[in-house]
Amino acid sequence: MKLAALLAIAACGAPATLAPGPSEPLPAHRTIAIDTTPKERRRMVPPEVYLRAYLGWFGGLVPLDVQKRAQPKGLFDAWDDYLAALGLPDYRIDLPRQGQSNTLMAATLGRLGEALCVRAVEHDLHVAGKAKPPPIAARVVFAFDPVARPSLAQFTDRFDVLHRLFLGYPAKLSPPDRVQRFYLLYQQIAAEHGAKKGPLTADETAWAAVCSALVQHPEAELY
Amino acid sequence: MKRRTALQILGGGAAALVFRRPLWAAATAPAASDEFFIFVHAAGGWDVTLWADPRNERKGIVEPASSENTDIAPITRWKPARLDGEADTFEILAPGDCALRFGPGIGELYDLRHRLTVVNGLAMNTVSHPDGTAFSATGRHLQGGRLPAASVDVAIANELGVEQLLPDVSVQFPSSFVGEQLDRRAIPLRVANAGTISKSLARSDAYFTDRDRDAITAILSDEAHAIANRSTYPETYQRLESQDSALPHLLGDELKAAFTQKVLQDSYPEFDYKARFIGGGVLAAAFAVEAMKRNLVRCVCFALGGLDTHNQNYKQHAHTQQELFGTIATLVKRLDRTPHPTRRSAKLSEHTHILVVSDFCRTPQINLSGGRDHYPNNSALAITPRFKAGRSFGKTDHDQLLPADSGLRFSDGPRPIAPPDLLATFLHAFGVEPRRYLRDGEVVTEMLA
Repeated sequence: MKLAALLAIAACGAPATLAPGPSEPLPAHRTIAIDTTPKERRRMVPPEVYLRAYLGWFGGLVPLDVQKRAQPKGLFDAWDDYLAALGLPDYRIDLPRQGQSNTLMAATLGRLGEALCVRAVEHDLHVAGKAKPPPIAARVVFAFDPVARPSLAQFTDRFDVLHRLFLGYPAKLSPPDRVQRFYLLYQQIAAEHGAKKGPLTADETAWAAVCSALVQHPEAELY
Repeated sequence: MKRRTALQILGGGAAALVFRRPLWAAATAPAASDEFFIFVHAAGGWDVTLWADPRNERKGIVEPASSENTDIAPITRWKPARLDGEADTFEILAPGDCALRFGPGIGELYDLRHRLTVVNGLAMNTVSHPDGTAFSATGRHLQGGRLPAASVDVAIANELGVEQLLPDVSVQFPSSFVGEQLDRRAIPLRVANAGTISKSLARSDAYFTDRDRDAITAILSDEAHAIANRSTYPETYQRLESQDSALPHLLGDELKAAFTQKVLQDSYPEFDYKARFIGGGVLAAAFAVEAMKRNLVRCVCFALGGLDTHNQNYKQHAHTQQELFGTIATLVKRLDRTPHPTRRSAKLSEHTHILVVSDFCRTPQINLSGGRDHYPNNSALAITPRFKAGRSFGKTDHDQLLPADSGLRFSDGPRPIAPPDLLATFLHAFGVEPRRYLRDGEVVTEMLA
């Protein structure tokens, strides 16, 4: 123990001495701007991820559920028909995945989105044969109380729910004309279906159209 | 430097100047803006000794097709010729009115021999399906499993087709969109089946009308446009905008109805949709005629398969080829009867250019399983007024069926033709600068009409 203490004292030695001199001024404070510009162009969401998002948005469905729900009334066929058109690889015929979107892919995703939005409206909003729609907590997409012919303010509140769901951020942070543009779409579709007798009311059809446009929105397809 | 060395260098340089034939030295062909293109991939690797490079003798390692290894009953052009013992081989089809020679696999296409350009002895340097497929379509071998270059259909669509509604429709064809300089509109529309196109465009009328859908796609275009204006990299959003803008045209009832499987089959009953070995791909040929007639596409490319015959299934190889070439013959005859959509009194076939390629060819010898395996030689077929018709280019050797000196003058000396040469020549024939798309290859001006 004594030996260890002696060794430690010998190792430390005398402290280094600093020569006295004038103190140097601290460097000037510099403001560094944070560069927030994107360094890479937007890319297509891989089809698997995009379809996973689809399944999640519409209630955590599994693919066969989607097919089952979307098929009636000719809204959709079978996944097998669309693997290549959606950009997915098809190993049965040795077809590789597609790295870029194309018009046919947009059309196919549009068909799927339309089918799922219509089914979601039927589940969440449509009241035929029922006393009232399911409670908001039990709704899949349209988690708000619909009003007939909403004003812009009423529409904005409800549109915000869909905007947050599909695009992931509040509608008030979106580019300035977006809410107005979607409100016009809503009004146009509602007016178109006002006098028609269809499976959905005019307002429900309009909400289905808004939903359909949001799931195909450029911000939903890119990252 | 010694005087002798200096003279050798100077001599070499002069020889290079004389013999080198750079791409840019070839006269530029006129640009083609209302031409149509069909690219066919004969999937699996074909036996060239049964059609383009016929062999009916045992020579070297060559074992010809015979009644022992081939089911000859359905082969309409099989004329028996004595081989040995009980076995018969085929008589080579060597018409007196044409320099070409064919095996019986050519089938009905034999009647159109004056319009065919055959390229033999293509040096493939591969016996792998993915690599051979990529090499034939892009002129480059795979790099780590990835396609390193754009395929010929994308090159054509990029140069001549971006204004079309559907620049490049690809039905199981090995299309590849690679390169920063390419217009995004030339991205091939890849589908597994031509019938899928109609299904993707189909919409239920139960909930939305076409006017509703037009309104939805209009808002999507507007949104993409608005975001592109605010974006650092607007190209991607602009691409989406153009795709959304095209949708209303595609989703119209007339177009959807024209491309359903049933309507295509009813409109073009001459195609054999129930062909035993290549039936699935035939619909794409009917789609090609309809889409070109409507001036919607620039390129349609598709695969007709079933040629990978390693085992006893080789017995059907000749039949498969007969179906393949029969489909192409039917396609050409139909194009002969179809008017060009924009050129008055012109036939569609006068402005439609067909290139048929495969992965590689099959071994000249029959293996122990009764089939033929992969072999690094190949042939190709072009049907276009821009190529010299009724002629064949390139050679193989007699004993081993390997690519031999083509007799053409290439800048790097005597050698066989390779896929990049064929693709470069094809692109050049339509005024496209091949170096924009191909690293290798030289224009073979001898092939051009």
